[in-house]
Amino acid sequence: MALELKPKKWPGTIRTVTLGGGRRRTLAVGGGNALPLHAFEGSFPHRPLLALEITDTAPGRWPAAATEPWQGVLGQPAAAARRAVEGYGADLVMLHLAGTHPDRGNRSPDDAVADVRAVLDAVPVPLIVRGPGAGRKQNDVLARVAEACGGEGLVLHSACQEDYRTLAAVAVAYGHVLVAESPIDMNIAKQLNILLADASVDLNRVLIDPLTGGLGYGLEYTYSVMQRIRLAALGGDPMLNAPVVCLAGEEAWKAKEAGVPRHKEPLWGDERQRGINWEVATALPLVEAGAEIVVLRHPEALARLRRQLDGWFAETNRGVA
Amino acid sequence: MPLTGLQIFKLLPNTNCRKCGYATCLAFAMKLAAGREALEKCPDASEEARAALGAASSPPIRGVTVGRGPRAITVGEETVFFRHEKTFVRRPGLFALLDAKGLSAAELDARLDQWRDTRIERAGETFQIDGVAVAEVPGSPEVGVKAAVAAAERGLPVAVLAATAEGAAAMAEKIKDQRPLLAPPAHAPDGLYANLAARLAIPLVVSARDLPGLAAAAMAATHAGVADILLEPPGADLRALHHSLTAIRRGALDRIHPGLGHPVFLRVGAGEFEKAVLGIAKFASLLVLPGYGGENWLPLWTLRQNIYTDPQKPLQVQPGLYSIGEPHAGSPLLVTSNFSLTYFMVATEVEATGLACHLAVVDAEGLSVLTAWSAGKFSGERVAKNLRQMEAAARVKHRTVIIPGYVSVISGELEDALGEGWRVLVGPQEASDLAPFLKDVWSAIGAG
Repeated sequence: MALELKPKKWPGTIRTVTLGGGRRRTLAVGGGNALPLHAFEGSFPHRPLLALEITDTAPGRWPAAATEPWQGVLGQPAAAARRAVEGYGADLVMLHLAGTHPDRGNRSPDDAVADVRAVLDAVPVPLIVRGPGAGRKQNDVLARVAEACGGEGLVLHSACQEDYRTLAAVAVAYGHVLVAESPIDMNIAKQLNILLADASVDLNRVLIDPLTGGLGYGLEYTYSVMQRIRLAALGGDPMLNAPVVCLAGEEAWKAKEAGVPRHKEPLWGDERQRGINWEVATALPLVEAGAEIVVLRHPEALARLRRQLDGWFAETNRGVA
Repeated sequence: MPLTGLQIFKLLPNTNCRKCGYATCLAFAMKLAAGREALEKCPDASEEARAALGAASSPPIRGVTVGRGPRAITVGEETVFFRHEKTFVRRPGLFALLDAKGLSAAELDARLDQWRDTRIERAGETFQIDGVAVAEVPGSPEVGVKAAVAAAERGLPVAVLAATAEGAAAMAEKIKDQRPLLAPPAHAPDGLYANLAARLAIPLVVSARDLPGLAAAAMAATHAGVADILLEPPGADLRALHHSLTAIRRGALDRIHPGLGHPVFLRVGAGEFEKAVLGIAKFASLLVLPGYGGENWLPLWTLRQNIYTDPQKPLQVQPGLYSIGEPHAGSPLLVTSNFSLTYFMVATEVEATGLACHLAVVDAEGLSVLTAWSAGKFSGERVAKNLRQMEAAARVKHRTVIIPGYVSVISGELEDALGEGWRVLVGPQEASDLAPFLKDVWSAIGAG
């Protein structure tokens, strides 16, 4: 009996979004026209990108295994960014301005601008800037950063359905890419993109963050909502075909299982290796469900994912636009 | 083409005799259409019905059982490509590789006892090592035989990883009544092992260098009399493996070739953790894992738990008063919503503090705290009513309740609704800030 497998063709294509620009290196993501990683039946002009997360102030609650690779540069964004790119091979960097949160230091928007500038001067790669995520402060900080760093093609993380106007306006005015975050909900993801389009945001400058549940803490919800978003996008929905960014590292290392030492849970094995595995087992399914940018914390997790993706996309350049 | 439930229903006797286990022929027909039942369960089906239903009524992926007794494991029987379409039904078996070469009898016993007894409870599931894959030791066939027998005696399902046909026969013969899985070396000649599996009536792994070869090998094994087959997909790297896994599942569901309608077997080598991750997410049904410690087992078990959760179940936990640790009448009383992600985050953080707590999980219809509040499901009145229903007041001698920071606005309303003597303490917005909050605030003023 003959065995005939027909390749699956889709009407839709994922948008191509270019990060960086100006004096900065540019990287493009998206552009695929088949289910994620289905290289055997579609074309993927750009490979998924691997980012490392750095913070403005020393992170409060990262387990020891996650801070160990950053010894000596914790809370020093420029030095950490250099290490991330030059030492650990990150495609790009996410600077989390956690210290601007009212409850975690309440650093000012001016402090944030200084940190972002320092990172931009330190490394040539595109930069994701993550705000404190606290209502008005999120807007104050990210709007100032957007204004002060016009033309750098930053990725602003993030706007949500309840509060998107300020960031939509500055993203358009200063030429940045905007991350649209939705709470593991395809309808809200779509609605937010419609709202952004109405607010004159070019959807070729938008990424979706579907909100990541870490391994053991809702990964399956994110996984399935991403698959559904991707099916809709490939089916031709122009409001859901943005590339996707996932904060895998943050969610993985939040898990109790990623940090508890072996002497407390002997059956769980070595905590350092366990933490890195937790991050890999969070990130790889997300790539397989459609993440074009994965933000990680541990360089070993990045190296392991890199090895697999290099094999996958051997003939694809590393996203350089 | 698969038949619809109504098309199948018209072929059934329509006697509603219940012999199939369903109340009506229509209910049975619907199960047949979904590929979740086999026509054999209807003793009165006509020849015409059998012919018409034929392959269309059988599940697209057959079930295969390895082992006997309480720890026997059945894999396969999947009906969808994406878990959100329905659910993945049979959690893949994770087998531990046992190379008994150089192990003393005592060491072998100790290792198998440990594998048999390993249990980790997580979110309502017990993680266990599902079986043992015993590797044949070339040149010392008796070592593998001893190990296989020792594993089977402990009730653990066994996969025989053969190197030679003679070695395989020696191992499988000894434990054939325990239904071991026979896994020949990759690309072994078809007939040899198929005849052995057929004679012993045990399941067999077939492999090939490409997909058409794999489907053909499965057909050949069927013709040799093997009833239960697992497919070992070709793929030198993850990209090629992903292609194979995807094509097998798609081919089975679309019924393009009967040789593809079997569960998938995957060997994971040392340093191939990513292969196991991909296999669990993408359709592998039985994985052999190398000499792993808990740092590898735990994430893989957890990933399997996530991927094989029924996505149709609402993301809610049962409202009620939960104990974190062993709380007493002086322990803090915290309130949160019954959205399962919120609950897990809060419970995990509280657990990590080492401080025992009463956690009042309020019926917020499965919404997160802030969303529930905006929808009127986390009002002071509603929280108070829930606390009364779960008789929280009888469990603590103090009268302090801690609410999430996001709903600080309900403090006054909640205090009024709870009545005289109650005090509402506003906690942090994020669960991750609970540890410092409980340490500083509660220990300073809490039980006061």
